[in-house]
Amino acid sequence: MRRHSALVILIAAFSLVAAACASTGTPSDGAGGDGDGVTIGVLVPLTGEAGAFGQIVADTAQLAVDEINASGLNPCGQINLVIADTQTNPEQGIREGNRLMDSVGVVAIVGPTSETMVALVDSAITNEVVLFSPYAGSISLNALGGNFVYRTVASDLDDGKAAGLWLVDRGYKRVAVLTQNEESTISIGTAAADAARAQGVEIVADASFAPGQTSYQAELSSVLASKPDGIFLAGGQQSGVTILKEATALGYEGEWLLAADMAVPEVIEGVGADLMEGIAFAELASADTDLPTYTAFAALHKEKLGTEAGPFSANSWDMMNLIALAMNAADGCTGAAINDALRSVSSGGTVVSSYEEGAKALANGTDIDYNGASGPVDIDETGSVTGSYAIVGVKNGEWTGVEFYSADTFK
Amino acid sequence: MRVLQLILFGVVTGSFLLVGTIGFALTRRVEGFLNIAHAELITVSAFGTWFMNRELGWNFFLAGGIAVVGTSLLGLVVARLFYDPIKHLGSSVLLITSVGVTFFLHGIAEGSIGTGIRVFDIPTPTVLSLGELRITTYQLAIVGIAIVTAVGLTLFMNRTRTGMDIRAMAINRDLAASRGIDIRATSRATWLIASGLAGLAGVLLGVQATLTTDLAFQQILIILTVAIVGGLGSLYGVIAAAFLVGFAMDLSVLWLPGGYRPMVAFAVVIIVLAVRPSGLARTAG
Repeated sequence: MRRHSALVILIAAFSLVAAACASTGTPSDGAGGDGDGVTIGVLVPLTGEAGAFGQIVADTAQLAVDEINASGLNPCGQINLVIADTQTNPEQGIREGNRLMDSVGVVAIVGPTSETMVALVDSAITNEVVLFSPYAGSISLNALGGNFVYRTVASDLDDGKAAGLWLVDRGYKRVAVLTQNEESTISIGTAAADAARAQGVEIVADASFAPGQTSYQAELSSVLASKPDGIFLAGGQQSGVTILKEATALGYEGEWLLAADMAVPEVIEGVGADLMEGIAFAELASADTDLPTYTAFAALHKEKLGTEAGPFSANSWDMMNLIALAMNAADGCTGAAINDALRSVSSGGTVVSSYEEGAKALANGTDIDYNGASGPVDIDETGSVTGSYAIVGVKNGEWTGVEFYSADTFK
Repeated sequence: MRVLQLILFGVVTGSFLLVGTIGFALTRRVEGFLNIAHAELITVSAFGTWFMNRELGWNFFLAGGIAVVGTSLLGLVVARLFYDPIKHLGSSVLLITSVGVTFFLHGIAEGSIGTGIRVFDIPTPTVLSLGELRITTYQLAIVGIAIVTAVGLTLFMNRTRTGMDIRAMAINRDLAASRGIDIRATSRATWLIASGLAGLAGVLLGVQATLTTDLAFQQILIILTVAIVGGLGSLYGVIAAAFLVGFAMDLSVLWLPGGYRPMVAFAVVIIVLAVRPSGLARTAG
């Protein structure tokens, strides 16, 4: 008995901890189906590391739905939102996603991050529920998307191409790629390395690390041993801040290109502005902020929510408008009907720039091409759009735009 | 040279694991169950320090000191409120209760701290280098604190009356009681010390890492690993295990992709348990 007791305790304890990690969320109510309204699930991280992004999506989705409902033009009646928190945890996201489909009966689920979205593809197709994300860039979705699976953000392939362009433009000779071991970061890291390599940049190290650790210096040391002049770090905020600090302590004096998650003020505050000034850059999917559609949206956001439009806010806005316009163009209010009409309202017709304009044009029997706040949002056969990207750098302790790659760059 | 640097990293990793695990092992030894909520005490201390240091602008050492004492008292309160009343139901019930306590504390932390990352308001550490070997003053401090903790706890256990009472109680609670040891007072002392050590680990966590409310909880698997490799309750075993796991994790990057670093800790558990099913320590004493 004694020989086995340690093992038994080990297994029992690990199971408990695993069960604890996979906590259940708070149930929220809502009703689905058509008739006098439809329900859309907002499946976003509201707590955990990505909580700030999920909140932006939830707020913008609500803003869009309020405007759509107020217009009174939607043939499916009132759109109701049911918000579910993934806790930045894919397992929790899958549970909540299935709950939205099975118990709540939603016609669409919006807002999942890459990990959750990839895992929900099969159930979404089986249940005929539209999955739509404003920020899931995973390359895996290139093959999975196009039928019930859509996004108003470009594939990480473009993200990686933008990163690769910058690595080339910046004139680095030896670049190291350091990737967090997660779906979204791996696909950006791989795409960036491929894009830079294709342009003749030598990738001297391609390393990975697991998130949620107290220190990353062992992983970092293998990257620094290759003596890079630039490091592309596809990581999260928690890991990224620690890595930037530890790299400085280990004597790294080169430059950084960081993935989009790190382009927030908290990262500068966490690392220290002096360690990032002039040498840290980040690439992020960014709307062309000069577009009139963007400025109009930003003004509305400011007026109704009292805050500036955040990252992926414009993408979330366009996502909701496309779903609502698909309802206007479709023969019914089911997920399958929305799926059939979604691509057709995004391209190939009279250009419209708002839900109201589009709904009226559709009522007159005109084909429409919705161009939104985040760009032309022409959804291709993989369910993705071509994005535009900004490179921002730390200047006077703040993220400041230094380069913009328009969607045309990647077509 | 790179191997030496990785060994140095291993010493730092092992030192943090030692401080993080030793209190956990102490409660396991004296109270007879795995207190999963130990990880959340680390969270409470880390964010307590952060709040006083960053939000209130207090001196880091003052904030850290208050956090350690506060966590120590919180651990005692948790034990009196949640564990003592159900002690007679056995270690499995206590273990599951401690998971419940973990949820409770985690929920409070998430609700009050919110999302995103936090760091202490402390200056960038000075880097000391010897040839190509590098260590920061903060890392050196972590190693120093781990040594003082290990030596201090050993002396306390062997030289003081309370320490010897704790050891007696760990070996045989009933016999200790019949020999006149005040079981309740000794149990209180154990919780204060173990929780204080969790508090210390929380301060070190914030010095070294970027804090999220999930971070300490993510360490509980590694802490469990060290405790089990060490022999579930043996303090000397824990010291050896902390450094074994630290070296194994940090040296693993020589042969394995860095993404596997945390997995190496679990591989160590499997290997050690296969060779020595009772852990590194010869006896559970």
